Amino acid sequence: MSMGIPEIEDAGCLLCFGYNGADSHPIVARRIVRGRQKGMKIICADPRVTETARISDIHLQLKGGSNLALVNAMANVIWTEGLADTQFIEEHTKGYDEFLKVIEKYTPEYAEPITHIPAEEIRKAARMYATTKPAMILYGMGVCQFTQAVDVVKGLANLALMTGNFGGPSMGIGPVRGQNNVQGACDMGALPNSYPGYQNVTDPAVREKFEKAWGVPLSDKVGCPITHVPHRVLHEEDESKRIHAYYIFGEDPAQSDPDLAEVREALDKCDFVVMQDIYMNKTGLYADVILPATAWGENEGVYTCADRGFQRFRKLIEPEGDLKPDWQIIAEISTAMGYPMNYKNTEEIWDELIDLCPSFKGATYEKIEKYGCVQWPCRDKSLEDKGTPYLHKNGVFATADHKALFYGTDWHPPLELENDQYPMTLSTVREVGHYSVRTMTGNCRTLRNLEDEPGWVQMNTEDCRRMGFVKGELVKILSKRGYCITRCLPTDRVKPGATYMTYQWWIGACNELTTAKLDPISNTPEYKYCACRVEKIEDQEWAERHVMELYDDIRAQMGIDTGKGAKA
Amino acid sequence: MKKEIGSFVVGDSTKCTGCKACELACFTVHSRKENPVGKTVGTVTVPVTPRLYLTKFEGGCMPIQCKHCEDAPCLNACTKKAITRIDHQVIVDQEKCIGCKDCMQACPFGAIALLPVSKGGKVVAQVSGETRVYASKCDLCQGIEGGPACVRVCPHQALRLVDPEAEREEKNIRAAEALLLTKNWR
Amino acid sequence: MNYFVKGNPDLCIGCRTCMIGCVVAHEGKHIFEIDPDSYTFNPKLHMVKTAKLSVPVQCKHCENPACMAVCPVGAISRKGNAVVIDTDKCMGCKSCMDACPFGAINMVPVAGSSQADGSEKVVANKCDLCSGIPSGPACVRVCPTAALTLVTEEELDSAMEKKRQEAARTAYREMYPQK
Repeated sequence: MSMGIPEIEDAGCLLCFGYNGADSHPIVARRIVRGRQKGMKIICADPRVTETARISDIHLQLKGGSNLALVNAMANVIWTEGLADTQFIEEHTKGYDEFLKVIEKYTPEYAEPITHIPAEEIRKAARMYATTKPAMILYGMGVCQFTQAVDVVKGLANLALMTGNFGGPSMGIGPVRGQNNVQGACDMGALPNSYPGYQNVTDPAVREKFEKAWGVPLSDKVGCPITHVPHRVLHEEDESKRIHAYYIFGEDPAQSDPDLAEVREALDKCDFVVMQDIYMNKTGLYADVILPATAWGENEGVYTCADRGFQRFRKLIEPEGDLKPDWQIIAEISTAMGYPMNYKNTEEIWDELIDLCPSFKGATYEKIEKYGCVQWPCRDKSLEDKGTPYLHKNGVFATADHKALFYGTDWHPPLELENDQYPMTLSTVREVGHYSVRTMTGNCRTLRNLEDEPGWVQMNTEDCRRMGFVKGELVKILSKRGYCITRCLPTDRVKPGATYMTYQWWIGACNELTTAKLDPISNTPEYKYCACRVEKIEDQEWAERHVMELYDDIRAQMGIDTGKGAKA
Repeated sequence: MKKEIGSFVVGDSTKCTGCKACELACFTVHSRKENPVGKTVGTVTVPVTPRLYLTKFEGGCMPIQCKHCEDAPCLNACTKKAITRIDHQVIVDQEKCIGCKDCMQACPFGAIALLPVSKGGKVVAQVSGETRVYASKCDLCQGIEGGPACVRVCPHQALRLVDPEAEREEKNIRAAEALLLTKNWR
Repeated sequence: MNYFVKGNPDLCIGCRTCMIGCVVAHEGKHIFEIDPDSYTFNPKLHMVKTAKLSVPVQCKHCENPACMAVCPVGAISRKGNAVVIDTDKCMGCKSCMDACPFGAINMVPVAGSSQADGSEKVVANKCDLCSGIPSGPACVRVCPTAALTLVTEEELDSAMEKKRQEAARTAYREMYPQK
């Protein structure tokens, strides 16, 4: 995020795009609500009536998969109505003219049939965004989980650049991340193309620095993104590139990745699978070795918030049983593999890391402790450098000539469209009680009391009436790739023809249905769009029994006692 | 899924005129199986035994019938286990009932009455020769096509079949909408 | 006057923390230690979500409670500033549920109880303003967006007085615009 999360509530205008804070991050949603109380204008672009849409000034209820057409049309309005900040564009950016050539055709009238939003609404939204200062954009998985994801991110950045909304507090663009500490994982180099601190693996100078510090030769090749793993296990022709071993750590691809049938086959065929987690999960069923780790509260370290803020977390209780903190497991495995790691504590690891990452260098444990949170870049260890709440101060960008670049791209539709056989669309979403793949929250009793297997499919009330579904009825939902059983939730918050499922359920597992088509740059799957069909189950009693049997079966496989009174 | 709650019928004294159409309809639909009642005029050869009771009081009149309580005192009081819950409704088994009257006393609504058992157009006698009676109460017309006959026949729509949970959710929505209107109460 | 808790749809984000807070407050902290099947999850407030709003709905603790008037066994009474149900007396007749115009009362099973036919006892359930819980209504305390408020007699009175003052001043200004 270019801004800090606390700054959200002081924005003049918030464009909330494909981001449902109330379900994904209630703590961020709280800032939005507070901003609203302070008079912040809200434009919400979302196909569903989310909590933010409900309190917004303008709700752009766009058709799923039409993001870029809407973003380009807003840029078109800002340009044609003379609302752009020409001085900012002149002084701090490049490529504006080429960009204008791309967005020229995206008049609101052109975008209307694609987005299903009246042209006048698009105009109103663009005017509100361009004329209310400071304006901030928050976006979420409703932008990122499409095959056209990175293009839309750039499109949103274009809007901020056009209107000069960079370089001050409460402005800019903010990806609110999909997972807890996913920012931290990226910061630490858990990406195929970078070392910690976003230092490129293909840069010889960077490689040399890390080789010297760690005393080993390092690869100069970009690694394999997680979404390529099934293909590299199952279909890779080049023997030297085929994956034989898969070490999975705090992740449950057999639940969270698209096209689960393919993921299961890959895990099955993979010669050696290691799983490191705090609870048993679906991936664990395919693991050759399971390494039990400690949970938060049982260990300590640093998390990075979506706004680049490092925060310490601490050990509260002694872990019980035969388990170790993640960092100790990694150190011991490394040692066993011939590279001894002898860290005494996480601070030693942190100190080594920040000395190798210029933008993290100043964020010492002592400083994080003192200020509670330090947002990178923080380059100096002195206590005066308190980090960087917002990026690009005074319009200085992190490019060679400090200028930002406009990138214009054309919209294209999602890759799997509705058809005769699968006439509806499926988008995967979150629900507030269950975090991610439920590995943790599925074990929390009161959260399970609120929502439990087999989950829900949200459908428009009118569609439900037509198909004869009532609330709570078990239905079968199918795509080209598979099917699952879940409960029907009729709601006026979703548009006709669209369905929404949360992706954590073991039984109502929507990733049996999703497509593994990827964004070409981010390699993120198109979780937000695939074609599906919903069918009635005539024998509801059978379906209820069947769901319970499936649930008991999975739990039995995981070694969870399913006897009376021991529901995990 | 949530535990389902039994439905029931309630009367409305502001609409009821005391015509007793509900009582007659109740008796008729429940007597068709065992007695040749209701085909033509003059077929009623047995005592009229409705399962709801038109009740007159100082404020007017209305029919009173069973609420199909969820923790039903009648069911809990019945030593013979002649009262059971079938498909969420509280039902008396006429064959099992020995007429001990415990359920009558336990019911706070007076929704149960001792009434004669009739079969084949005649009242049934016991060993002593006296009429056999049983605890008669509303069964919500279970198994009878069209649902509760009392609701169907009332000329003034003074009877209503209540689906408590569905109505509660409807009322919740109205209450929530009222909160929109009162949100700036300060 | 009875007190009551009210939700503000502008602030509510529909997260249902209030429902969990309610159950935990009434069950006690041991809820996290006991067998998960040995308690029942019966929040005393209901999250309503429509296309326009999200907000929890709970008992208004009416001054002339319809539920209390219709209860055939005297299980509903006024206690302090709240209208409360004595679940030991309740026999689940649903009269109160039918009488309440807000849908604030639902019927819930009582864990560990049984009726003559072996099934769980089912009784009326509604907000009791956390009567007997020293820290006050749990829903108000746990709401992350402060969307729930406990309305007291003093507060309601002072809000009404403030509005009357404002109305009087407005009328006065209209009569004597120059002053």
